[in-house]
Amino acid sequence: MATVNLSKINKSYAGRPTVHDIDLTIEDREFMVLVGPSGCGKSTTLRMIAGLEDITSGVLTIDGKDVTDALPQKRDIAMVFQSYALYPHMTAYKNMAFGLLRTSRLSKAEIDTRIREAAEILHITDLLDRRPKELSGGERQRVAIGRALVRKPKVFLFDEPLSNLDAKLRNRMRGELKRLHQELALTVIYVTHDQIEAMTLGTRVAMMSKGHLQQVGAPMDIYMHPSNTFVATFIGSPEMALIPCKTDAGGQIRHASFVSGLAMGEGLPAGVLFGIRPEEVRLGDEGMARGKVERTELIGAEALVEVSLGDDRLTVKSSVADAPSPGTDVGLTFDLSRARLFHAETGRAIAVGG
Amino acid sequence: MSRNVEKARRNEAVLAYFLLAPSLLFLAAFTYWPILRSFWFSLHDVLLGDPRMFFLGAENYQRLLSDGLFWKTLGNTAFYTLITVPVAIAIALLLAVALDSKLRGMAIYRSAFFYPVMIPSVAAGMVWVFLYAPGYGPINEALAALGLPQIDWLNKSGLALPAIMLMSLWKYSGYFMLILLAALKLVPSDLYEAARLDGVSGWDQLIHITVPLISPTLYFVVIIGLLHSYQIFDYVYVMTQGGPADATNVLTFYIYQTGFQYQDIGYASTLANTLLLSVLALIGLIAVTLGRRVHYLGER
Amino acid sequence: MLHRLSRRARGGWLHFVMLPLAVLWMSPMIWIVLTSLKTRTEVFDPAAGLLPEVLVFTNYPATLSVAPFGTYLINSILTTGSILICQLVTITLAAYAFARLEFRFKNFLFGLFLLQVMFPIYSTFLANFVTLREMGMINTLPALVVPFVASGYGTFMLRQSFRQIPSELSDAARLDGCGHLATLWYVCLPLVQPTLIAFGIISVVTHWNDYMWPLLVTNSDSVRTLPIGLGLLAKADSGADWTRLMAGTTIVVSPLLLMFIIFQRRFIDSFMHTGVK
Repeated sequence: MATVNLSKINKSYAGRPTVHDIDLTIEDREFMVLVGPSGCGKSTTLRMIAGLEDITSGVLTIDGKDVTDALPQKRDIAMVFQSYALYPHMTAYKNMAFGLLRTSRLSKAEIDTRIREAAEILHITDLLDRRPKELSGGERQRVAIGRALVRKPKVFLFDEPLSNLDAKLRNRMRGELKRLHQELALTVIYVTHDQIEAMTLGTRVAMMSKGHLQQVGAPMDIYMHPSNTFVATFIGSPEMALIPCKTDAGGQIRHASFVSGLAMGEGLPAGVLFGIRPEEVRLGDEGMARGKVERTELIGAEALVEVSLGDDRLTVKSSVADAPSPGTDVGLTFDLSRARLFHAETGRAIAVGG
Repeated sequence: MSRNVEKARRNEAVLAYFLLAPSLLFLAAFTYWPILRSFWFSLHDVLLGDPRMFFLGAENYQRLLSDGLFWKTLGNTAFYTLITVPVAIAIALLLAVALDSKLRGMAIYRSAFFYPVMIPSVAAGMVWVFLYAPGYGPINEALAALGLPQIDWLNKSGLALPAIMLMSLWKYSGYFMLILLAALKLVPSDLYEAARLDGVSGWDQLIHITVPLISPTLYFVVIIGLLHSYQIFDYVYVMTQGGPADATNVLTFYIYQTGFQYQDIGYASTLANTLLLSVLALIGLIAVTLGRRVHYLGER
Repeated sequence: MLHRLSRRARGGWLHFVMLPLAVLWMSPMIWIVLTSLKTRTEVFDPAAGLLPEVLVFTNYPATLSVAPFGTYLINSILTTGSILICQLVTITLAAYAFARLEFRFKNFLFGLFLLQVMFPIYSTFLANFVTLREMGMINTLPALVVPFVASGYGTFMLRQSFRQIPSELSDAARLDGCGHLATLWYVCLPLVQPTLIAFGIISVVTHWNDYMWPLLVTNSDSVRTLPIGLGLLAKADSGADWTRLMAGTTIVVSPLLLMFIIFQRRFIDSFMHTGVK
């Protein structure tokens, strides 16, 4: 049972604020992913939760207990680092035992049982006598997770744990982490800059940018209803196209390439951004807008077609068979039930009536 | 909250001073206090073992200016340092370049050139007294075998200091060689391959590729060489006692003579301060001249 | 030419240059050992060959009987060992503070340590002598140790090593319940072991061979070290008895040279990497 609550958490370095007023609650057994580009403050936030960085202002509670100023080892947390941070001079077994020996009153036998259990779960029983140097990247990763598991902490913190692995292994470990989270009912806070990791792992995702929390929600929720253009373009690949449009006197939005104005709702501001994802557009002879195919990329099962609409561009997902060749004029049909609008100046999402 | 942060920071500082305390205590007592004290002594007439001190002001420093022996020892020290350090580094560089290969017996060569560093300076000095000895010394025996006249190396004023310099080349070149060897190992070999394709000769490779690339290490070796050149005290003490006629007397030995043989702590301190200042000035000079260029060359 | 060939390990001819040079470099040591096995008349006889006619081992017991080399050896071990232990403690603590802690005057204090490396011992030895004399410590073993307890050089070297330890490792240690001292002991120290060994070797070689300072502060056999004993032997013989002197030299030189031969790699590596940051 563990809820982590961050309330008005701030961090400044030498007077320069880097993390602003973070309010976030991580529920028990939740897999919360903090995602954002590098330098957005996500790692700093995680390190504040871990107690590795001082909290400049705000209150942090774990399981209802105020731990804002508590020492890291008093917070009942465990962390897996990007570089794994295994002690190079200790065997895998020792690495896992070290923290328990220092922070718990468990007997040697109890510690041994815990390590064997964790090793069993992670399939590293055969590796316990090896030093980190004798382990592969993926094996080190497992040991690092094992070191966190044996502590049986209330909260697990992961700081970009998969970024040092190659693509194939990363996929496998992603599945593994998901399995662990479900089987062992862990509460996890996970930092990554990789939006695919965020989407696949998180039960909820917290997007950060420039030290501010941008949006918190279930992955699909964020994907479908991004609260601003930053979130909209960060999540999803290829990224969402944002086509600048004008609202005409009749309340319809217009763009040079549109065949006619699109009715998107009432009370729109003069300038809006029309946000549409690659899979939300259909190419054909006719359509709501006309464009010219610039480039076609075949990526196996499907094709990515880059279409120019005057000065603006968007990418469309299409089946390989239907992919038009570069230079062709095409008509585009938008899935208006999924398209969204953003305020051209503030970038905020506009609630769309229809 | 921020009070807690402040407290943590203060605790860290307290711990830091606690960790530094042992070092600082000894540093203060045996490095900085003696320097202050020696400055104080230099303003006085003090004799070794005599607690009385008579204030002289700058008199000791005036004496320095007109002291012919001081200038002679300073000249000898400069001569020794300015020749031995560059020559030793040149020898070391050539040895290092020759050994930077998969040559068979490489480890043996390395040790052969390095082992003199392990030998106490007093033992080295004594052996070389023997090697230089007139009549039965092997160097003179070799000269005799070649039909050349024998030379009493350490008793000829023009040759005594060069003879000591020769032995210190033997003793320290191997150390510098090792340091340079470590630097050479880091020079990427594709650079030499590129140079070879461009038809650059071996000597030009050494001057235009090797030396610039290891220049930070060369600079470091110059400093180490400078610091090691104090060792000449031991050689002079063991081999010549400054003779003949002060031909091998160097500043460090003159300080020792003045302080311990003539027991004139005041004047000896004046000499010691002069040594300190000239060393610091020389290092400063090297830092602004060589150091700057090295920085530029060292960037790849 | 020289360089190109050596790089390509093709230069068999390099041996023709290097071998004689190496022999030349070795010759003083060979000479020491050979002379210590000769008779006195052989040394002074220009007609005698390079090698001793018969191996004479009596020079060794003769040397040992004129001077208490056993005491010197013990003093050398005690002095060098104490300096080493004291230095390892002081530099470890100081280097950790400089590498991992934040505090006021950090740069200034570090400057004080660095400056010590530059200061010639000859600019402090007079005043240190006077101070130790006032404290009544002249002619004691501690007098041989105390000036060398703090080492700016060692602190600098070790600080560099500490800084190379990834900060995530000390973060992990903090989560595992380590304070600074525990992190230093359980995590940092095991990782800088190579640096500690390298520094230890350099320190031992330096102080084992040191001549000037023990010369000044010792005046009885009970506290003299090996190099001082050898110097005294040379003075007493005044160049007359080379065989006995060379036997003494062999005795003084051999402990370090033996260590060097046994742990060649370690020694070479230690000195080699004094230059690489």
